[in-house]
Amino acid sequence: MPKLVGASALGAVLGLGLSPLGVEAQEYQVDLTRERRVSFLSDAPLEDFRGVTDRIDGFVYLEGEGLVGGTDLRASEFFFEVDLASLDTGIGLRNRHMRENYLETEDYPFASFSGRVGVLEGLGERRFSAEAVGELEIHGVAVERAIRCQVTTVGSGGRAAETSPGSDATNAPASSEGAPPLILRVQCAFPVSLSDHGIPIPKLMFMKIDEVMELELDFHLQAVAEEGK
Amino acid sequence: MRKGPILVRASATCLALALISSVPTLVAQDTPRRWERRAEATSPPVTIFHATQVINLPTAETLSRGEWQFEIAHRFFPPVSEGQEGFWGLDGPAFMRLGLGYAFSQNAMVTLARSNFLDNWDVQAKLRVFESGSGPFPLHAAIQAGAGWSTSVGDRDASDSGNFQYYGQLVLNTRLGDRLALGVVPSYLYNVLLDSIDPVQDLYWGFYGQLYLTEMMSIMGEANLGENRAELENDTGSLGLELETGGHFFKVFLTNSVRLNPSQFLVGSSYPFEPEEWRLGFSITRLLRF
Repeated sequence: MPKLVGASALGAVLGLGLSPLGVEAQEYQVDLTRERRVSFLSDAPLEDFRGVTDRIDGFVYLEGEGLVGGTDLRASEFFFEVDLASLDTGIGLRNRHMRENYLETEDYPFASFSGRVGVLEGLGERRFSAEAVGELEIHGVAVERAIRCQVTTVGSGGRAAETSPGSDATNAPASSEGAPPLILRVQCAFPVSLSDHGIPIPKLMFMKIDEVMELELDFHLQAVAEEGK
Repeated sequence: MRKGPILVRASATCLALALISSVPTLVAQDTPRRWERRAEATSPPVTIFHATQVINLPTAETLSRGEWQFEIAHRFFPPVSEGQEGFWGLDGPAFMRLGLGYAFSQNAMVTLARSNFLDNWDVQAKLRVFESGSGPFPLHAAIQAGAGWSTSVGDRDASDSGNFQYYGQLVLNTRLGDRLALGVVPSYLYNVLLDSIDPVQDLYWGFYGQLYLTEMMSIMGEANLGENRAELENDTGSLGLELETGGHFFKVFLTNSVRLNPSQFLVGSSYPFEPEEWRLGFSITRLLRF
């Protein structure tokens, strides 16, 4: 089980003042009981194919009131990883080629994305737009990326946040219940260049894979209680 | 006199070490979450041979569940030794085989194929029955059973009982190191000579090996040894090259056998396995999912 330590409490104890917004914090981790889908599309001239897996895990931490109130995004944190050997393209031989020839999953079994939430904007009732800023590591090569995701509250609580212009902090009104949402659905789509991550493409054979893959992520986050609460 | 400076240097060193050792702590404090993985990475299946057959003999490999495999293969009659006059055999004529396989599960597949030699239909089922771990000598075992129906044998009616042959094969595969795969295939064939009055049965021993030179290219060889029957008094052998992509296998090889379907190939060849009798053959398989 992931071990999540409350930063606010830690900050309060150490007097470091990590959160200028109080001792509240929201933390979420991937809900393994709900549908998860990570897919890529290779749109090569001779052959399109899609690889799919549900093996994504990770967490998001929001300082302060997070989605339902003021939050200091500079203190936010997230980490996600995808089990690359579980990707299924529909053809076993192609899966093996992908694992052994391109992703080299024996050496680099996971792709990960870690960093902080750079921007959090309300898009309306129960919908947010979040820009995740950090390092996307695939094939052992980390690349700085800013990836825009759409977040929808599925569980209780949660209303659109309001962005303070010129600031990366948000001040969102509390929900009618005054409680943070329990379940969030996260959807992202972004391109990944294989050459950016040092993934070789065979030159001698047909160009069977696209140099740029379109990645799509769709998964749920579930609020978790801080230790000691 | 020197004691003082030494103490000062020691104190400074201790302070420096203390500061250095405190850095990770401060970093850890800046990182409010510590992530522990909830599930380990997926362990991919162990692969010995990449394709479901080497040249003529089956491997223990099966398709993935729900996968289809289309196959087209040729064996050219004229030997390569005829040279340019016969375009090294490629002018033909040739026997050919068309096949379509499907995997009902991760370990079981069926294949229906037709060869124009005696207008032979072949249906077979393969079941992988054993897989060892991923150690230095992984072992895979499969059983394959099938029936051949030659619908054009002389003046016989196509449904004549003598036109049917049945076979069973045990497939044992292992790998030496990362690149050399080896296999043994004892085969049993019923009604070897397509004789409806007195059908005979034989046991054959198939051996093969495949050396994977790169991720996509390999060389292979196989031999099938058995009873020497009249006009088919030679055991068969083949040597070839295989290229693979994510969905295809391309095989080109030299062989003394021009028969393609298992019940026809197993019985042997009228040509000895000598360079002047080598024929060209090829097969192309395409993996599909609908």
